[in-house]
Amino acid sequence: MKLHYGLNDFKDIDWLAVLQIAAPFIVVGLILILIALFDLYRHRNERSNVLLWTIVILFFNTIGPILYFTIGRKGEKPNEVRN
Amino acid sequence: MTPLYILTKKEYVQMFREFKIIWLPLVFMFLGATQPVVTYYLPSILAALGGNQGITIDPSMTQQDGAQVIAATLGSQFDQLGIMIIVISMMGIIQSDKANGMLDFILTRPVKVGAYIGGKLLSNFSFIAISVMLGYFVSYVYVNFLFNNIPFLEMILAIVFYLIWVLFILCFTFMISTIFNGQGVIALISIVCLLIFKIFSGLHPIIDLLNPAGMSQHAMMVLITGSIDSHLYGNMFITLVWITLTVTFSHYWISEKKYHKN
Repeated sequence: MKLHYGLNDFKDIDWLAVLQIAAPFIVVGLILILIALFDLYRHRNERSNVLLWTIVILFFNTIGPILYFTIGRKGEKPNEVRN
Repeated sequence: MTPLYILTKKEYVQMFREFKIIWLPLVFMFLGATQPVVTYYLPSILAALGGNQGITIDPSMTQQDGAQVIAATLGSQFDQLGIMIIVISMMGIIQSDKANGMLDFILTRPVKVGAYIGGKLLSNFSFIAISVMLGYFVSYVYVNFLFNNIPFLEMILAIVFYLIWVLFILCFTFMISTIFNGQGVIALISIVCLLIFKIFSGLHPIIDLLNPAGMSQHAMMVLITGSIDSHLYGNMFITLVWITLTVTFSHYWISEKKYHKN
């Protein structure tokens, strides 16, 4: 198994073929991250562990935003209809 | 402006406020795209990982059929991570209404319990069905692009059978959410029970007939073999009976006000 790659190996990759397939993944992941960060910023005064959630959303790709949306939206205003 | 319509609309407003209406379809599209792409790159991944250990890959083995790949999307993405995401996003469906007194408030109004349950199920099922279908179509497009074409009719039939299993997942979570009060307990019981149903499907024809997860198995079979199994209609009927039972039980539990803590 080859572990070390040099900068020259970048030229050998067929970027067009890779991008055709990988672009939807990147777009979906980015949209999820942006929505999660937007929601976190909007409710920054009501959430606990804002910094921790920012790190989780940014660095745990696709799982991070999902976790935030499902279990991170706690501690909202008590008078909201659903918390 | 019937109560059913108003309650359905309220649920949609709630989903919109929570951004659920954006992220749940995106997550299912992501799940749907994962399986074809990983399968397509599997020979390269194996070659990169096992290249110098004398492992060679028979090229004829890696040529996968498109129908098998899309069946694997249903079986190993939607039926594992998909179930967990559906259950976790739906675990508060009744529980949060109980916790903040909304359920008691709605029942003081001239609203029938049936309209309340109907509004909840209608809005959430239509939304989840659209999400699952979007994920499935993304998978279909990828399979057509990377592998070979799948007959359109079989694809539609398979997703219709699969949606009956999804309806059962929703109704089961709904019933558990009506009975129990803790979010963690609801998620744990629903996920464990549904995964056990899924594990038991395909073991024995008689068990399959009674098992709602058999619908998912039949959907995969329609894709792979292209023909409808003779047990399918019996299984569909029994799954619909299970769905009716869970909804009736939730109706009974709410109308008898058994959800109050002792």
